[in-house]
Amino acid sequence: MKTRAAPYRCAGGLHPVYHKSLTAAAATIPLELPSTLVISLAQHLGAPARPLVKKNETVGRGQPLAEPAGFISAWIHAPTSGKIKAIDEQWTAAGRRATVITMESDGEDRWADGYPQPPLPADADRKQQIDRVAAAGIVGMGGAGFPTHVKLSPPPEKAIDTLIINGAECEPYLTADQRMMVEDADRLRQGIDRIRRLLGTPAVRIAIEDNKPDAVKAIQQALSSLDGDVEVMVLPSAYPQGAEKQLIYSVTGREVPSGGLPMDVGTLVENVGTTLAVADALDSGLPLTERVMTATGDALSQPANLRVRIGTPFDKIIEHCGGTKTPPAKVVCGGPMMGTALPSLAAGVCKTTSGLLLMPQDTVHFFESMACIRCGRCVNYCPMRLMPCTLSEGGEAEDDELLEEYRILDCIECGSCAYVCPAHRPMVQHMKNSKARIALIRRERELTKQRTS
Amino acid sequence: MSGYLLLIISAVLVNNFVLTRFLGICPFLGVSRKMATAIGMSGAVVFVMTLAAAVTWLLEHYALAPFDLAYLRTIAFILVIATFVQFVEYLLKKFSPTLHQGLGLFLPLITTNCAVLGLAVLNIREGHRFMEALVFALGAALGFALALILFTSLRERIDRANPPQAFRGAAIALITAGLLSLAFMGFAGLVKI
Amino acid sequence: MLPLIVPLAIITSTAVIGLTGLGCGLLLAMAARFLAVREDERIEALTECLPGINCGACGMAGCGDYARAIIEDDAPVNLCKPGGEETLKAICAYLGIEAQAGEREVALVCCGGHNGLAKHQATYNGIADCIAAERIGGDGKACPFGCMGLGSCARICPVNAIEITEQRLAAVHPALCIGCGACVKACPRNLIGMVPESRKVHILCRSTDRGPVVRKYCEVGCIGCNRCVKAVGKKGITMDGALAVVDYTVPIEDVSVAETCPQSTIVVRDGRKENAS
Repeated sequence: MKTRAAPYRCAGGLHPVYHKSLTAAAATIPLELPSTLVISLAQHLGAPARPLVKKNETVGRGQPLAEPAGFISAWIHAPTSGKIKAIDEQWTAAGRRATVITMESDGEDRWADGYPQPPLPADADRKQQIDRVAAAGIVGMGGAGFPTHVKLSPPPEKAIDTLIINGAECEPYLTADQRMMVEDADRLRQGIDRIRRLLGTPAVRIAIEDNKPDAVKAIQQALSSLDGDVEVMVLPSAYPQGAEKQLIYSVTGREVPSGGLPMDVGTLVENVGTTLAVADALDSGLPLTERVMTATGDALSQPANLRVRIGTPFDKIIEHCGGTKTPPAKVVCGGPMMGTALPSLAAGVCKTTSGLLLMPQDTVHFFESMACIRCGRCVNYCPMRLMPCTLSEGGEAEDDELLEEYRILDCIECGSCAYVCPAHRPMVQHMKNSKARIALIRRERELTKQRTS
Repeated sequence: MSGYLLLIISAVLVNNFVLTRFLGICPFLGVSRKMATAIGMSGAVVFVMTLAAAVTWLLEHYALAPFDLAYLRTIAFILVIATFVQFVEYLLKKFSPTLHQGLGLFLPLITTNCAVLGLAVLNIREGHRFMEALVFALGAALGFALALILFTSLRERIDRANPPQAFRGAAIALITAGLLSLAFMGFAGLVKI
Repeated sequence: MLPLIVPLAIITSTAVIGLTGLGCGLLLAMAARFLAVREDERIEALTECLPGINCGACGMAGCGDYARAIIEDDAPVNLCKPGGEETLKAICAYLGIEAQAGEREVALVCCGGHNGLAKHQATYNGIADCIAAERIGGDGKACPFGCMGLGSCARICPVNAIEITEQRLAAVHPALCIGCGACVKACPRNLIGMVPESRKVHILCRSTDRGPVVRKYCEVGCIGCNRCVKAVGKKGITMDGALAVVDYTVPIEDVSVAETCPQSTIVVRDGRKENAS
């Protein structure tokens, strides 16, 4: 095993103030079991899950609450034992309304019958292992929430030769991945070993930004026993270095084609948290019912890294962290760059929630958005080499032809353009809005094509 | 040969019909909203101008001049131009209905496009020979196309760029046209014929 | 008697222009014959029915475009304002459909929760457009069904009949509304409906949440208490889950039903009177 600096450097990239010192050295503490849990059924990319339980039903920990409603969807399990109180529409951590299961914990935290499942031996059938990952409800825990079992079963013509473990954590404030690498390096090794065997032993690259020397050290120690082509890649800190496509370029020099997937260039990227969840599912038979997240921000009394059950309401987390120092002006689910502002604190932690950020009044500004002044800073900083200024104007004018020509669908919504824009234009919202509209138009076009043919 | 080249350069850049002689402003402002229609319009104008120049030159030299009928020039020329415009309209309707719809009213208006008539009259006044007249017509039409396409690409961007309320639409378009015209003044003196 | 002397100039000029004209005419005649395109004659006939002033009040580029929209896109036949009833009759006669004896329909925004009455749970700092806001979870209004007041409907209205009040609520001026229905499609929360102009009783809420939930976020939201349905004897108002809905096919004569609503969700509004004033 070797350690070396990443050979390539992705386009754009900025250097926000990281604020990671708030929690970088804080050991992960398990949060006490909350009395009420709010579990969204739309925690992943793709179709929301279909509920399997009824009101007033008693469930044990690990019991499936909802089943996948399509190929790109995921199982959702009871985070603890208790009783289902309600199934209705509520605001979720994703900032939209979705079906939500509210359950009351009975405090016993008793596993459901048959859970935890027996571990699968390392030489188990490939399909069996992927099915176990799917049944554990594992999705990409870095934030995108793409179902992991889909990623792990690429079509046979797309061979994966490089497995990249994403420990870059380029979002400011967040330190959950860093703590996982420091504290759970051994389990991470198991996870890496499992995934690379599943894929047919490709090369493994663990990408870590250079502002996390403790994580680099821990990983080096833990992985020294791993044979084969394994390398720790140290990346220079920059945002958004940890975005999938940027990471692939930095580590391998390969560019994912427009509209393509990492598997098109023979790579697979897994987040640290996801890798640990895979290890849990295969070696201990645990479904995904908890995750590590960072509760932080200058408005929070005691910032901490927490191991929380999925569905823990955000107000419980704030309470556990000693409440607020100053009244927060903005509560963000996730990091400050890509996270979404929470409309309600009653929502619960999702599988993709990597952080909870409370920003005090003096760091939140109410922006009056102005016309683009064509300074071109967003073009300099865009990691996808797009022209955000043109795209945002095209979005305002609803010029969909122009938007498609300028490849708006390649936008990764990293927020670099909005961060540097001197006219305070809501760039990311423009992108999201235009992308949603174009996706809608494309779907309609396809429907009419089907109808006519 | 170099004479023809100079003629083209002079018609395209130095004495650009739209931006220096201020002929054909109507379609210049009217069809500059979208690039696709602007290109279509340019194509139609190139077609009409070149053919009309050829036919009007023949008409002048073999019908009007021998019988001393110079006073009928305007009527005869308009007749020819109108025919060609109508012909183009038929062609477009048949082969590109979308472009036909995009050009709308401005297609029949080429008939009264002063650039076309102006060119035919200029050809006579300058005493061009037949080939010269054709080359001059081609140059003038290309100049019109250049101006229209430049202006359209500017306008497409301006439409997206949120100008202040009072400037939106025709106001900012006219200012832009003025600036573009000033820019073309820079070519003055490039070619001396 | 004077001898008829025709100057040579008249003959030559007539001949030259006449021959040129003849040549041009022949060319065009051939072009018309060989380049002819079959056009939908219904569109031409319908264009004849319209006034031909190309005013654009229907929202299309002109009368011809509107005629095309009627045939190809099933546009409503009653959009021509200047033509009025006569044009409508002519169009209907041509298309062979019954002239909608019905009355004029106007748009109605089914939300009464302006900023003073409906709670906001967050502040919105983004694109001032309802559709854009809805895609990221709304404008911070706690009610997920209520009017965001960012004006997508007002911007799409061809006749500026929709006003966004100071309290951030869209309001349609029935006198100005031409009933084109563009706002109905524009509203991302489906709050706008077309209602017959003469109807007076309206329920200004589309929240399907249960009563206790509605009470938490809006002072004038429908809580599904059923009182209005009982008061009208199920004629004209029906329940859709926890939401009372006016059935505009059945006129409600007794406007006192509004008084039974504990939330003041039901309003009595006479569109025609507003027209007169």
